[in-house]
Formats: sequence, structure tokens, C-alpha cells
Amino acid sequence: MLTIKLSAAAVCSSSSTHFLNPRCRLRFNKRIPFLSNPSLFNPLRPIAECSSFSAKKNSARKMDSSASSRIVAAAEQLKDPDQLIDSVETFIFDCDGVIWKGDKLIDGVPETLDMLRSKGKRLVFVTNNSTKSRKQYGKKFETLGLNVSEEEIFASSFAAAAYLKSIDFPKDKKIYVVGEEGILKELDLAGFQYIGGPEDGDKKIELKPGFLMEHDEDVGAVVVGFDRYFNYYKIQYATLCIRENPGCLFIATNRDAVTHLTDAQEWAGGGSMVGAVRGSTQREPHVVGKPSTFMMDYLAKEFHISKSQICMVGDRLDTDILFGQNGGCKTLLVLSGVTSLPMLQSPDNTIQPDFYTNKISDFLSLKAATV
Amino acid sequence: MATELSQSTLKEKSQRLTPQDTQSLLDSVDAFLFDCDGVIWKGDSLIDGVSDTLDFLRSMGKKLVFVTNNSTKSRRQYAKKFHSVGISVSEDEIFSSSFAAAMYLKVNKFPKEKKVYVIGEEGILEELELAGFTPLGGPEDGKKTANMKRNSFFEHDKNVGAVVVGLDQYINFYKLQYGTLCIRENPGCLFIATNRDAVGNLTDLQEWPGAGCMVAAICGTTQKDPIVVGKPSTFLMDFLLEKFNIPTSKMCMVGDRLDTDILFGQNSGCRTLLVFSGVTKESDLQDPLNQIHPEYMTTTLSDILYLPNNQF
Repeated sequence: MLTIKLSAAAVCSSSSTHFLNPRCRLRFNKRIPFLSNPSLFNPLRPIAECSSFSAKKNSARKMDSSASSRIVAAAEQLKDPDQLIDSVETFIFDCDGVIWKGDKLIDGVPETLDMLRSKGKRLVFVTNNSTKSRKQYGKKFETLGLNVSEEEIFASSFAAAAYLKSIDFPKDKKIYVVGEEGILKELDLAGFQYIGGPEDGDKKIELKPGFLMEHDEDVGAVVVGFDRYFNYYKIQYATLCIRENPGCLFIATNRDAVTHLTDAQEWAGGGSMVGAVRGSTQREPHVVGKPSTFMMDYLAKEFHISKSQICMVGDRLDTDILFGQNGGCKTLLVLSGVTSLPMLQSPDNTIQPDFYTNKISDFLSLKAATV
Repeated sequence: MATELSQSTLKEKSQRLTPQDTQSLLDSVDAFLFDCDGVIWKGDSLIDGVSDTLDFLRSMGKKLVFVTNNSTKSRRQYAKKFHSVGISVSEDEIFSSSFAAAMYLKVNKFPKEKKVYVIGEEGILEELELAGFTPLGGPEDGKKTANMKRNSFFEHDKNVGAVVVGLDQYINFYKLQYGTLCIRENPGCLFIATNRDAVGNLTDLQEWPGAGCMVAAICGTTQKDPIVVGKPSTFLMDFLLEKFNIPTSKMCMVGDRLDTDILFGQNSGCRTLLVFSGVTKESDLQDPLNQIHPEYMTTTLSDILYLPNNQF
């Protein structure tokens, strides 16, 4: 293993302290306060990135307190699924790593969902993956043989459009999209004008004298999500809009570090595209996907459900479980996705769900075991 | 260093350079350190009066050093660029962050049998090769796409022991994925950033996203912080001191950016002069959220030449 001696005086990290800045406020277009003494920071220590939430201050305070000062009870292994099932009305499921991995359904999922429905539970699917629209996700569920309707699906692509609607974003303003089809489709459905998206992936720039990149001054919001067609042109376009169009919003569908695009491995997630635009604009985005409670508030209102009657089931601590906790729900971590038991039990982990289990079909197999 | 920093933040606000200040600076400083983008040139266009000012300083026996965070060129390529705009500068007067990355690996005895994955341009590749290392990636990975079909697997070289990230106009998903896998999966793999500048004057007409973007993208996927070798890290200062043997108190850092140039100068114990010919405007300096105050500020580099010679 390579070991390196570092002189703290000689090596320092500059804006790395952005991540831990407790004054990191989340108002639109707010500049990140720059901390001028980077030499205090140990650049080799891995840190959790400052997760962004909805604009409510109390959410931010809650995140700070849950991350640092609260003594957190360790997660309990799920032994009695019936008790959990009976105590809630609604189950919210993450998709990647819970229902499927890439395009492969996880074992026992269809039977488990059927069982929950037969017990009269409402099922909702909340995914940070913004590449598809709700309609496209509906088709994916159908292809996998699952009985799920569009109205039960809340992708972060939908969340971006719903958010803009909720703030009465003017229909005569445009939205620049650093992201894929899913976002474009949802914006379109909501009646908004957009530019950008996958086709900007083919655009090139030339850094030469006299070359000026123009941008549309009517862009009032930039939405950034996972983007496989990411390039320098898009970063510059987004940057120009955010820095130069007065009041331009910077919205992120999500900030997941990695994602399971295929079942075989992890892939760089939306956190990288959002990170890049954050890097050039030095502005914090307004995050609409997990762990922001925007989608939770939205569906609680939509379905008239009380949050204490909800159980959030997910595979990722810093998005799914934090989302559930911030929303005031019960939380169940499954180990069928990105999080392993050692990761959950690591002393560096400060996020403890109420329960954990291997996969959702344990609802059935654990029940069978207790009979 | 910490004491010097707190002293400078307690000082009065930065002073506008006057003819007297300029003269006093010329009398007490033996070496001038210049940032390049936004100070010497903007893109490929030389800023007015720079050539005469540099000639003047040389004629006064001052040492001139160029410290740039722009990692797209090597020191050799920068010497060529200076030559092309009519300024005579030798390679060893230039300290680019591309050079810093290679030196960091050298100084820390990075094993030659390990490889270095580069999210960046030619400058980094050239400096790594000159130092005897094996770079992978760079501009040609800008043409690669990731195959995400069901049974495909994105491979990465398990022998990569460091990922170096700098300004990269050919950034794409392939590179983000490659860099991410190396850092997350190769045990002990280093994450090195040439710099974290948000934007820079890469052309004469406007600002463009800087290395800060590419680095933040990798921070986003790895949830790790990089080792920063360019300004404001004082890493390069060690090389400067070895070359010039001048105390830092007799050096003046001239730059256009507070959080890199000026901070570098202050952290090293140099005098500092901010110019408004680049990315920073006077309103940025006066923003209540700004905590970095250079000793002096002035419109442009050529004020050093013209101020003492004019009656104001």
C-alpha cells in the first residue's frame, strides 16, 4: 500500500471546506462563503459531502444535529416484519438496489409487493434516477412483470418539474437542462420550455481568440441531473446562465455519488454533474431529490397521508434513509444494493435506520420462518 | 503561517496602489511572482502594457517568476507561449500546476511501476512523462464513450496508483467513471488536483469553467477531498525557494484571484497585489463574505510601470 508523508504546511486543500461549512445555507443563488484557511484541512481524510435539502432552515438544522450531536441508536435487524407492516399505511420504495439492479429484478420482489397490496398498503416508488420520466418508469415496471402505475412513481425528473410548478416558475422563462430524456419529458408535460439536454452532448467549443459563447438570457433556471452526455459546453452554458441571468435558479435532481446503472458495478452518479456546476458557479443547488424532503411533502399532500404512517425502504443511507428520517417516517435499510452490513456498522457511519434486512422479500421469508 | 494569515485579515482593507506605494514596493521586493491568466494575458491576447512592465522590472534587476494554475500546458509549452506573444521567459522561471503535480509524485516517491490516470490536458501528460511516470487518459479519452449494455463491464487499470485532475475541456462521462473507479477501488489510490479555480479567462472575451469543476465532479463521486498542489497550496513555493534563495518577505505575488493567488502569497509570507484585469472585480473584494484582503490592489499590471512615472 502506498504511503505518503505530507507536510501540513506544504499541502492544503482550498475550497474543500465548503462541504463541512455549517453556515452552508440553501437559499437560491446564495454564494458559498469562502473559508480562507485551508491549511487546517487534512486532504486525505474521506468526508461525506454536505447533502443539500429543501430551503427550509429547520431541515438543514436537523441534518446538522442528526449528523453530529444526537446519540443515534443502532439499527435493529428486522425480525418481525408483521409488526412493521401493521404499523404503517404506506411503503415508499427506492428502486435501484431495492426493486431492481440495472435491468434485473431482485428475487422475490413481485410476491412481496403483491402481499403488501393484499394487506391494503399503499405503495409508492421514489427514485433519484432522473434519466426516465414517470411514464418511462411505468414501462420498465411493466417489462419486469410488476403491477405499478405511473401515479405511484416519483422520479427526481418529475420532482424537478413539480418543484418549478410549486414555485410558479413563469411559463415564459426557459429552463436549461444538463441531463437526459426523463427531465425533458417531465418539463414538457408540466408545460415548461426547455433547452439543452442530450443533444448538447454533441456541441463543441473552441478556446480561441474572438470566440464568444452566447447563452439565452431568458433562461430562468438550470436543472442538473445525471448525464451520460456531459461535456464542457454544457458546464459553460449552465455556468453562464447561473452567473449572468439575474435570479437564475440552480436546481439539482439529486447528488448521488454513484449509481447502479448496470447490475455488475457502480457508475459515477448525478453528484458529479452537480458537483461540476457547483465548482464553476460556487453556488449551492436546490436539491429536489432524496434526501431533500420535497418529494415526501409532495406525496404526503397528494395522497393525504401522515408521515408517521410511512415506512421508507432503501439501500442508501445518505439519500434513502436520511430522506425517511428527515420526513419523520420509519426507515428500513435493505442490503441488496449499495450498502453492506460493515458499512452500516462502521464507526464512521452516523445514519442509523430503524431496521435493516437483506432484501424486501424477507417480509415473506421471515414471516414464513415465524409460523 | 497561521499568524501571518490572521494578521493580514485583521489589517485595514486593501490599499489602492499609489505612486509612493509602487516605489516602496519596487525598493523592497526582489522577486515578482505573476499569475498568468487575467494578469499577463487573456486566452492568447496579451494584456496592454505587460511587455514593457516586465522589461522594466528586469532592467531593475528584479527576478520574475510565473506561477500559474492552468495545467493545460507544460513549462516548456508555456515558455513557447510567452515567446509567441513577444516576451522572453525561460522554462525554469515558470511554475505551472502541471509541473506541480509531477513534482508532488516525485517528492513523495510515487513508484514508477504504478500508473497515473489523468483527467486533464497535454500539459499534465508531458510533465508526468518528463518526471519518468506513466500517464493514462488525457485528451484522447475525450473521444471514448462508456458502454452500458447489460452484460458489459467498464474496466479500469488496477495498477493506477494516482488520479490527477486538472482543467479539462474534453471532460466526459467516460473519464468521470474511470477516475471514480480508480479512486474508489484501487487501494491507496491518490486523488490529486492541480488546482480548484472556479473559472478563468481562457479566452479574451469571457470566463470559462476552471479545474474547480472537474475536481468537484470527482469529489462528488468519491466523497473524498483531493490533495491540491497548485495555488493556494504552498507546495510550489518550496521549489521557488530552492531555485531563487530569496526570502518570501521580499517577494510580491501579483494575481487576479483572491482564493488562489492572494491566499498563496499570504500563506507563503509574501507581499500581495491584486489586479482587476482578470476574474475579480472591486465589488468581489468588498463583498462582506470575502475574508481575503491583499495588501494592495490596482487596475492592471502595467500600473507598476506607469504609476511612479506619472503625477497623480
